[in-house]
Amino acid sequence: MSRAEIKVDHIARVEGHGDIHLVVEDGRVQTCELRVTEAARLFESMVKGRPYHEVPYIASRVCGICSASHTVTDILAIERIFGVRTTDRTHALRELLVYGSFLQNHATHLFVFAAPDFLGHKSVFPLAESNPALFENALRMKALGNELCTRIGGRSIHPITAVVGGFTDEVSREDYLQLADKMDAMVGFAKDCVDLFDDFGAVSMQTEGDMLAMVEPGRYPVIGSDAARFVRAGYEFDAQDEEAEIEEYAIDHSAAFLSRAARTGSSFMASALSRINASWDNLTEQARFAAAKAGLRPDEFNPYANNIAQAVELVDVLVRCADLCRRLAADEFEGSSEPVAFEVRAGVGVGFSEAPRGSLFHKLELDGDGRVVQAGIITPTAMNIANIERDMRTLAELLVEQDRTPEDIQLEVEKLVRAYDPCLSCSVH
Amino acid sequence: MAKSANIPRVVLVGLASCFGCQINITNVEKHLMEVLGQIDMRYWQLTSSDPMPERMDVAVIEGAVTTQEAKDTVERLRERADVVVTIGACANTAGIPGLALRGYDGRQQEVYGSHVPSLVEDDAIAPQAVHGVIEVDYEVACCPIDALDFVRTLQSALYGSNAYRRTSTLCGECKRNERGCFFGRETLCLGLVTRSGCGAKCPNLGRPCNGCAGLSPDANVESARKAAERSNIDVAAFDGALEIFNMTGLGEQRV
Repeated sequence: MSRAEIKVDHIARVEGHGDIHLVVEDGRVQTCELRVTEAARLFESMVKGRPYHEVPYIASRVCGICSASHTVTDILAIERIFGVRTTDRTHALRELLVYGSFLQNHATHLFVFAAPDFLGHKSVFPLAESNPALFENALRMKALGNELCTRIGGRSIHPITAVVGGFTDEVSREDYLQLADKMDAMVGFAKDCVDLFDDFGAVSMQTEGDMLAMVEPGRYPVIGSDAARFVRAGYEFDAQDEEAEIEEYAIDHSAAFLSRAARTGSSFMASALSRINASWDNLTEQARFAAAKAGLRPDEFNPYANNIAQAVELVDVLVRCADLCRRLAADEFEGSSEPVAFEVRAGVGVGFSEAPRGSLFHKLELDGDGRVVQAGIITPTAMNIANIERDMRTLAELLVEQDRTPEDIQLEVEKLVRAYDPCLSCSVH
Repeated sequence: MAKSANIPRVVLVGLASCFGCQINITNVEKHLMEVLGQIDMRYWQLTSSDPMPERMDVAVIEGAVTTQEAKDTVERLRERADVVVTIGACANTAGIPGLALRGYDGRQQEVYGSHVPSLVEDDAIAPQAVHGVIEVDYEVACCPIDALDFVRTLQSALYGSNAYRRTSTLCGECKRNERGCFFGRETLCLGLVTRSGCGAKCPNLGRPCNGCAGLSPDANVESARKAAERSNIDVAAFDGALEIFNMTGLGEQRV
């Protein structure tokens, strides 16, 4: 192969718009670009001057898949500025809301986006005929995530009830108990998913970049901690310093900013796999066993393993949600979820969470009337793009060395990109 | 699923948006196969990797037009499709992307600084609703759309029913739910001027209406301002809230 050019206009089965451009010449990768062509909606600019209470509502629209995460993260930024102390019950409900989007996101990504590659299909629909039981269960898992978001947030996308200070509405005790039973009933299938994605296999490779995730002693946190950890470099930073710790830079072939760790200059991956590497000991026992059985243990730096990692998180989240729902039904949490009173004041704050696809930061500066002066959003995919490009290059070089055909290389590169579960509309916003 | 020449061909295209409306369509799990079973969805970008067909029965468009490429795509869809359906606030009114309309020039620099990526700079245009570019036959309202509302509209589009849309305001619909009124609690709500049809989903859950269904043709905005004032609601705040979903008409220029 003297020269091969791989051009994918509009990568299918990822959220948002992006192209792949890869040129191999005389056995060497010359060009390797993930062109993020998603239209810039300019969120950080459009929220300037808007009153604080509109901002989570608007930011939710950054992404239809992780709207719960954008809403909650923005609320956390505002509450930090105002010094709002919410109740334990509100915290539990927010966790449930974020977990709902984990279930929904991971099930969509694993089955609608990723699985067809491994089954030789172009979309998820043929699965309905070739393996109706699997198709049915995958849809049930997705539906359960949506139901959880709907019960807690009022609808599956763009939550209604989550506001600064608490929630405007809550379902009944019976609803929580029913949800808990449904979570229990899906755990078996989630464990099967871990095995299934393990069976699919993957190219043996390692990312050269780092991995980033929220950490908290004794927990596998998705909200509530301000500690972010770079797994490979082995240091933690305070989320309030995200702007100094994560360097964003623009390049011409991407509408999204790219990111690198300011201290090491390294690209990095924010993902389910990063979380498992960072908080392995704090996974629920069932999830940890399922992961170990599939051969996924820290440190695992093969980016393809993010598929298995998401399946492991399905197990983990189901177990946690069943427990949270039962405790909510038993009224074990202090306080009600009704929005607490607060006073508007000027300030700067960062909201930090683990969205389904990885760490998410929202920075807000508000004036004394609670209007936005500055806003900054760093999404998991924006952080991942530089590392995806780096991994694409590593992979392409590996496959060229093995004399694989351009068609083969293209498929593997697409599989790699999809394993990151990129959300390109999030990345540009 | 046997494919024959008689199966209507439906194309779904996503422009500047959060993709939530498309996702909401996949969220009607129980109905998904029944809905998709009736049609040939060759070009559902989010779930399939086939290219756009030459002719189609229905083109479904999500998202606002914010790039020259999107404008060209929309025009091409109009040429190739018998019926065009827009779904969601972004496509219908320019929606949330339309928030960038006021003072659009300079917003790119605000986000990217002095180095705006050429990929953004070369292609971006001020946000527009789809009907600002081409004629639209059916609209499915709200942010996000209700998936069953989409199914209903798609049926109408496929079988050629009339494109009647509700014109009344949300207030009437909300009153029937007997949940009280935000104005009585001196809280801003846009139900007075927003198009009905959602069943007052947000007010039912204790949250005022933000107007995602767009301005109702029956709305009397001037009178609504006065009603707000009588309820001790800041009129400037009322006007500001109208901007969230472009009820001020900035994104509403018709062809």
